[in-house]
Amino acid sequence: MIVAEAKNLTEIGKTIAPYGRILVLGCGTCVTVCGAGGEREVALLHDALRLMDMKAGNGKHVFLECTLKRQCDPEFLDVLEEKAANVDAVLSLGCGIGVQAVAERLPDLPVLPGVNTSFLGMAKEWGVWDERCAACGDCRLDETAGICPITRCTKGILNGPCAGTKNGRCEVSKEMDCAWVLIYQRLENMRQLETMRRYYPPRNFRAIPRPKRVLSKINAAGGGHE
Amino acid sequence: MYSSLNSKSQDVNGAARRPHTDHSFIPPCQAKCPLQMDIREYVDLAAQGKVMEALQVIRSGNPFPSICAHVCTHPCEEACRRTQVDSPVSIRALKRFAVEFGGDRMVLAEAETTRPEKVAIVGSGPGGLACAYYLRKLGYPVTIFEAHAEMGGMLRVGIPQYRLPRAVVDTEVQRLISMGAEIRTNTRVMSLDLLFDMGYKAVFVTIGAHQGLRMGIEGEESPGVLDGATLLREVNLGLKPSLGQRVVVVGGGNVAIDAARTALRLGIPSVDILYRRSRKEMPADETEIKEALEEGVNIQYLVAPVNIKRANGDLCVTCVRMELGEPDARGRRQPVPIEGSEFTMKVDTLVSAIGQAPQMPGGFGIRIGRGSTIQVDPLTLTTNRLGVFAGGDAVTGPATVVEALAAGRQAAHRIDDYLQHKYPRPVSTNQPVMTGELDQQTIELVRKIGRFEPLYLPVEDRTRDFKPVESVFDWESAVNEARRCLRCGVGAEILFQDKCASCLNCVRVCPYHVPYIDMAGTIIIPPDQCQACGICVAECPARAIVMRKPRERRHIADELDHIVKTAAQSKARPLLIGFLCQYGLFGTGTLAGLWRSGKAGIWIVPVLCTSKVEAHHMLRPFEMGVEGVFVAGCGEQCSRENTDHWVQQRIHKVRKLLAQIGIEPERLQAFVSDKNDGRRLREELERFTEQVSSLCLASILKQEVRN
Ligand SMILES: Cc1cc2nc3c(=O)[nH]c(=O)nc-3n(C[C@H](O)[C@H](O)[C@H](O)COP(=O)(O)OP(=O)(O)OC[C@H]3O[C@@H](n4cnc5c(N)ncnc54)[C@H](O)[C@@H]3O)c2cc1C
Ligand code: SF4
Repeated sequence: MIVAEAKNLTEIGKTIAPYGRILVLGCGTCVTVCGAGGEREVALLHDALRLMDMKAGNGKHVFLECTLKRQCDPEFLDVLEEKAANVDAVLSLGCGIGVQAVAERLPDLPVLPGVNTSFLGMAKEWGVWDERCAACGDCRLDETAGICPITRCTKGILNGPCAGTKNGRCEVSKEMDCAWVLIYQRLENMRQLETMRRYYPPRNFRAIPRPKRVLSKINAAGGGHE
Repeated sequence: MYSSLNSKSQDVNGAARRPHTDHSFIPPCQAKCPLQMDIREYVDLAAQGKVMEALQVIRSGNPFPSICAHVCTHPCEEACRRTQVDSPVSIRALKRFAVEFGGDRMVLAEAETTRPEKVAIVGSGPGGLACAYYLRKLGYPVTIFEAHAEMGGMLRVGIPQYRLPRAVVDTEVQRLISMGAEIRTNTRVMSLDLLFDMGYKAVFVTIGAHQGLRMGIEGEESPGVLDGATLLREVNLGLKPSLGQRVVVVGGGNVAIDAARTALRLGIPSVDILYRRSRKEMPADETEIKEALEEGVNIQYLVAPVNIKRANGDLCVTCVRMELGEPDARGRRQPVPIEGSEFTMKVDTLVSAIGQAPQMPGGFGIRIGRGSTIQVDPLTLTTNRLGVFAGGDAVTGPATVVEALAAGRQAAHRIDDYLQHKYPRPVSTNQPVMTGELDQQTIELVRKIGRFEPLYLPVEDRTRDFKPVESVFDWESAVNEARRCLRCGVGAEILFQDKCASCLNCVRVCPYHVPYIDMAGTIIIPPDQCQACGICVAECPARAIVMRKPRERRHIADELDHIVKTAAQSKARPLLIGFLCQYGLFGTGTLAGLWRSGKAGIWIVPVLCTSKVEAHHMLRPFEMGVEGVFVAGCGEQCSRENTDHWVQQRIHKVRKLLAQIGIEPERLQAFVSDKNDGRRLREELERFTEQVSSLCLASILKQEVRN
């Protein structure tokens, strides 16, 4: 799941400064789960921004709020027609994808990000999130015992561990597990240690063209709605 | 721009949210109460020390709460789910607390006559009194006919004064008189035709069950043998029957216990109870058995009299010992005499208290059934005679005060239906009843708090006279006892399933591990396990979870709205707003002077547990120009888990926002109250006030420098 973090209010204050009526737009999917941009955060941000306005003594903004089921699917954005009809800007608490999807739908309105989209990850426990996937488009988790060295190894090396591993921890931080030790231990548990002996050639990042697209259909007549 | 605190969030599709309906369950205590009283509600009010409000709730469901407060058999406590955790909530004693501290004696009852049809009530026990009360409320002229010189039925001539002081019954009777009920004492009704001839349009028969049952043994008519109800009646009416030195009471019910304890109070040195089964089967109330034993009554189990003879001025009672045999159809083990175990006791008086039956004058012409009880339709309480209704012990056989009250109330409404030619509607409610036991896991996680008991008269002071044995709760014990209620059926629910992002916050934050994920991956909050702490409501990022009662959903926002508006007019500075838990020390009133005595303008938003205060609640007051905000929980006295932890989490979050906005984070603080007198809290609050004052000063200076 996508994990994001609230932006600093000062920064948001600057980006919204030129606009009067602002729609604070939440998203009911990933950012709700990670507590950065669901309905609760929308309401809290709304309050905080009003307080900031009051503190600055220039109550010039008017805030509206709304939380969509999911900002990254065009069909869910239909309600914006009405919700964003009379606003000067949209402050989206969706991830970077949400912000762009909304911008695409509202060609002549500024759409501003309200959160920093951080990574693809999972909850460790309440209030703690960890990165797990770099969306590299070339998954090798079968060979690394289900542990991604690209995100979980500080250096992202493919043939670890490096010489910096010590007592299972990474040289960068004693708090951090060495991903390659984790991989080793898991392979050992599964009796597949021989996989460690293999060499993985460096990947050619240049070969991956951006922006990527996933196609799961062929061009044929008929099908869904145009 | 400031919009109302409540109407903030809009629905995604612009459509109105589902109506703000009540989704709470009827708690087991209420379901078990024959009067269906809103126990959970008044117990909660008592926990906040709101005795007047608690009394109001009680009075709305019970015509004579002070009577029930003394003698109710409290079936509610048997149903109380707290029993599974430790022991049931002392509901009856809490009712007494609310009734006495709430000033029930002062409550004026009034009624206006709006209907022409006169109704006659035969019998002035709780059934008759309740029927009269509600008929007066409905506007009917009523007359109560009572055979005895005194009103109250068994309340007056049965239940001894050490359990129900006479003044309590008198107050209720006086209140009925002031409501316009006509009272005819010393009037035994012998024929119902006469009543109809006198112009009464309907009759309610509640003549109770006063005829002692016979033991069916030889010598039962001997002088020195009397029945329990008669003994109690004589004593209650001020007579002093001479019982000699040795009294033996036969029976195992409450009447037997009352007769034995009454005998002790008459100065009889030796009082025995003979019961033919064992203690486990004894139908009398457990506390009463305990009290009787404490006072010196000797209970002989598995013993029954078989023969009584009068010889040389003694009453020779031959008894036989019993053993318990096979269970009968109702599962009760039947006592079987042990051959050759006969023995003889010499006593002066034998009191038989093995049950009573109604005694109906033949002239009533109504059909009776098993045990001489009157046969009625259970829904309408109608008898075979048109216009004649019946209820109470006369219909059920010896039962309880609260059942008689319920029958009286039901009769009043059915009589109203009858007189107005309305079809009797069954009282239907679509509110579901909370059933189901607590899971073992929930039981383990709920904080154990032992039951608080009111004070009892020391044993040595009890048997000298008929002084009341139990006293009323003191304020603090009552508040603490009331806090033990688990608030069954008013917990949290995922009201907006469509918004639920399955984020699992509720699963992770619940201190009782109540929410779970079902096989389909849906999050379920089982209502029978939820402890209504409100933590998940405040932590749900999608705001999909709400409390089941609409009032609780809006509570803090409403209170805050109100306080902020009032505070805005105040001139006192600095202006501080505190979210204060209403339970614990706060409920006892110890802290009432806390904010009034302060120099600053401290305004209090009362909250029912600080774990329900959400981040935006803490932020809001600053927008209104408030200079400092604090949250004060009840600390060690909290009956729940983790509340302080969640307050700290939210404070941390809001402080971060404040700092980014340019407001000193120290303007938001959390305190917890100490257990005793609140001095620590008072000091902390004073320090906070000073701190905020100096922050204010500093920011004014800064502003001036900038200018
Ligand atoms: C010793 C004792 C202790 C008890 N303790 C408790 C207790 O702690 N808690 C509890 O809940 N219950 C207790 N009960 C039971 C409770 O008192 C009764 O269930 C309740 O009083 C029944 O009310 P009622 O209105 O049906 O009848 P009653 O209270 O019996 O009243 C009937 C009235 O009708 C009058 N009457 C009878 N015939 C006529 C007539 N022909 N004309 C005019 N008047 C007539 C009688 O004189 C009497 O006053 C106790 C009972 C006894 C005997
Ligand atoms: S815990 Fe409270 S609501 Fe539940 S049964 Fe007991 S008194 Fe009633």
